[in-house]
Amino acid sequence: MNVLLFLVPISLLLVGLALVVFGWAARSGQFDDLDTPPLDILGDDAPAAARRPSGGARRPGSPDAR
Amino acid sequence: MAPADGTPAPVLPAACAHCGETTPTPLRRVVDGASRLYCCRGCAGAAEWIADAGFGDYYRWRSAPGPRVGDSDDYRDWDRDEVLDAHGAPVPGGRTIQFALGGMHCAACAWLVDKALRRECGVLDVRANAVDGRLRLAWDPAEVALSTLLQRVARLGYRPALPASPGDDAARRRQRRRELVALAVAGFGTLQAMMFSEALYLDASGSMPVATRDAFRWVTAALSAPVVFFAGAPFLRGAWNELRLRSAGMDTLVGSGILLAWLGSVVETLRGGPQVWFDAAVMFVLFLLAARFIESRLREANGARLDALAGAQPATAWRLRDGALASIPARELAEGDLVQVGTGHALPCDGVVDGDEAWIDEALLTGESTPRRRQRGDRVLAGSHVQAGTLRLRATAVGAGTTISQMARQVAHAREQRPALADWAEATSRRVVGATLLLALGVAIAWSLVDPSRAFPATLAVLVATCPCALALAVPAAIARAQSRLLASGVLALSADALPRLAAIDTVAFDKTGTLTQGEPQLLGVRCFGTLDADAARDVAARLEAGVAHPLAKAFSVARGPAAVGAVLQPGDGVEATLDGARWRLGRRAFAEGARPAPTTSAAAHGDGVDDPDDGTLWLTRDGRLEARFEVDDAPRDDAAAAVAALREGGLRLTILSGDAPVRVAALGARVGIASGEAHGGLRPDGKLATVRALQDDGRRVLMVGDGVNDAAVLASADVAVAMGGGAAMAQREADIVLLGERLSPLVGAWRIARQTQAIVRQNIGWAIAYNLLVLPLAALGIVGPGLAALGMALSSLAVTANAWRIGRGAEAAPHGAPP
Repeated sequence: MNVLLFLVPISLLLVGLALVVFGWAARSGQFDDLDTPPLDILGDDAPAAARRPSGGARRPGSPDAR
Repeated sequence: MAPADGTPAPVLPAACAHCGETTPTPLRRVVDGASRLYCCRGCAGAAEWIADAGFGDYYRWRSAPGPRVGDSDDYRDWDRDEVLDAHGAPVPGGRTIQFALGGMHCAACAWLVDKALRRECGVLDVRANAVDGRLRLAWDPAEVALSTLLQRVARLGYRPALPASPGDDAARRRQRRRELVALAVAGFGTLQAMMFSEALYLDASGSMPVATRDAFRWVTAALSAPVVFFAGAPFLRGAWNELRLRSAGMDTLVGSGILLAWLGSVVETLRGGPQVWFDAAVMFVLFLLAARFIESRLREANGARLDALAGAQPATAWRLRDGALASIPARELAEGDLVQVGTGHALPCDGVVDGDEAWIDEALLTGESTPRRRQRGDRVLAGSHVQAGTLRLRATAVGAGTTISQMARQVAHAREQRPALADWAEATSRRVVGATLLLALGVAIAWSLVDPSRAFPATLAVLVATCPCALALAVPAAIARAQSRLLASGVLALSADALPRLAAIDTVAFDKTGTLTQGEPQLLGVRCFGTLDADAARDVAARLEAGVAHPLAKAFSVARGPAAVGAVLQPGDGVEATLDGARWRLGRRAFAEGARPAPTTSAAAHGDGVDDPDDGTLWLTRDGRLEARFEVDDAPRDDAAAAVAALREGGLRLTILSGDAPVRVAALGARVGIASGEAHGGLRPDGKLATVRALQDDGRRVLMVGDGVNDAAVLASADVAVAMGGGAAMAQREADIVLLGERLSPLVGAWRIARQTQAIVRQNIGWAIAYNLLVLPLAALGIVGPGLAALGMALSSLAVTANAWRIGRGAEAAPHGAPP
């Protein structure tokens, strides 16, 4: 049963990790609206023509950063 | 995609392919390869843009027709620095701001808004949230003006407005995320703790080495500690508060249950006792948290849709002081300030007109879409739009004091109120808590006399098993779900008891004008008797009606020439004015021909006499000579017949109570499917009231549907009062329920939902009580242990909440039928 000495801490570590990740996701607003983002993958990629390349790449300021 | 042509097609009234509104004069455009009909250029433009941008999927994904586009406002005020400073915040590379977006209700809408804005240059980030109806936008003011972005959104039909209270908003969002994290801690912790508990359970024969067993117990204790003390903190805090106030409530039971289970288990672990109950503690917390989380999500969904009301006031105002105009943030306005509002802008405050006349669109508040003329001394309300002219007004109420803010608060307040049944359920569960605590004490004493080693688990099981959590959740969960379904279909329940009462009705009384009919009279025919030809007669009539801003003016199209000055409305009879030197009268025949107005009493108070003619005709006379006769009538709403049929199918008795001529009421009844015996015409408001009273004396419970303007007394006396048409209705305190759109069928849906809610509430209460009664003896006798009791209790709470979700299921398929 000595294997438990490794397995138990590992499982605790994984739980802690999962919680940290979940907390980060919740705090960054990923659970705020669960209906809209899934629609994205249903559609074809929109023509990205109208955007200037500079605008598309950077996205520094998140409105939820506060 | 080039529009085929803009000419109105000569077709029957058709539903707009974008917003679903029917219009008698649709525009035909070729969009996305198919020819479709649109109600206005706004909607057609939006549809073309959506197709060009490759977002046609929107039409496939949306669950309801989009918002009508119409003409968009001017958002240039939003580019001014002081506005941005007041309502936005700086972020690296730009600014961020938050709006309540009117009309954004479904995921497809949010998707469309998000896509549309991301195409624009200078947009840093977009978060369109369909759940709370918010748009959070970060952009670079150096690259793109905020007004451009707002225009883009407005041209799709979504109306940006400042959220009523951005502070609350952020707090709510943080609260939701905190709850989510707590739920996750409880979930992960419970899973792990259960895993180790399971190992201990499976070791029934006691073959596990004591050291391993104790190690497992300590690990379980460590894993369940955050569940109990972090995720379960709301329960512990609540229990502490209740203890301080010396009123035992639900939290006392839950808090003491989980605390006892955890501490008792730790003691047993230290002592090396035979059993631990960490599993009971963590399960209890997890499932109760889950049930509460679902319930508060249900509640939140309600709130989001009301903000458009409060958000209708503009952000800036032009204040006139010492002869100079200055633009200031609207919230800096004070009572008594002189304010100037230009054409196309919304009024920032309530006030009294202090300058030349202007035409004001008060649709938001009165439901009346034709602009009204307002002149010096008239009262005007915040949120109205100036259609023509420049309005100068002296502020009488600002900020939260404006009529529209008060209305929004009234609605919000109604939402917070709890129906009598919910109070009953809570009071009952409080009594149950008291009884449970006594019972648990009894069980503890009894067992310690019989078998002291089983006293603790049995007491714990009683505490946990009999917690009336399901009972406390039974009503609020159902009501919250029902209200969010109602709001989604454009029905506002203003009073807390509206739903139970709506479920109990057996008779529906309709008003005619504006309720069963569209309330927009149409001119069917003109006959001339004098020197005027039909067009000229119509012109004169239009100018007369415009002079008193009467709704009938619409029937005569736009007045060519100035409105009649000094026009006088004789309530119940007609209009009189001097025009081009002649004395004109328009109204009932007797009045028009110069007979003295009959002494009208009750009708006078309501001022709608002109659409009250005896034979459905208006007569026009010049200096007492008959000039023309107009036939004016009002078409039934498109879905009136369908709604009537559906209500009748539901076993309701239907009747019309109208002030119009009996012949016309009977004719309308025949068209919508109400027998002539039930179509009562020629009723004055007191007659309507008497009819409703008579029905009630027969033991009937009457639902009255009116347009909310003329029917105050009848509405107040009915068991349930339903008002059509947004703002005006909301200002009517008599209305229990307001239908926000131009359709009657939501009423049918609301009635079905109310009945279903009633049934589900009964099921829930029955289930909760039955479960508690069943499990109590088992727990007291020690047959059901704490772990099983916790599982059963929590599942019972979840069952009640899940049952509430059934409300309104299947109703979605009903009359939404979105083209294309």
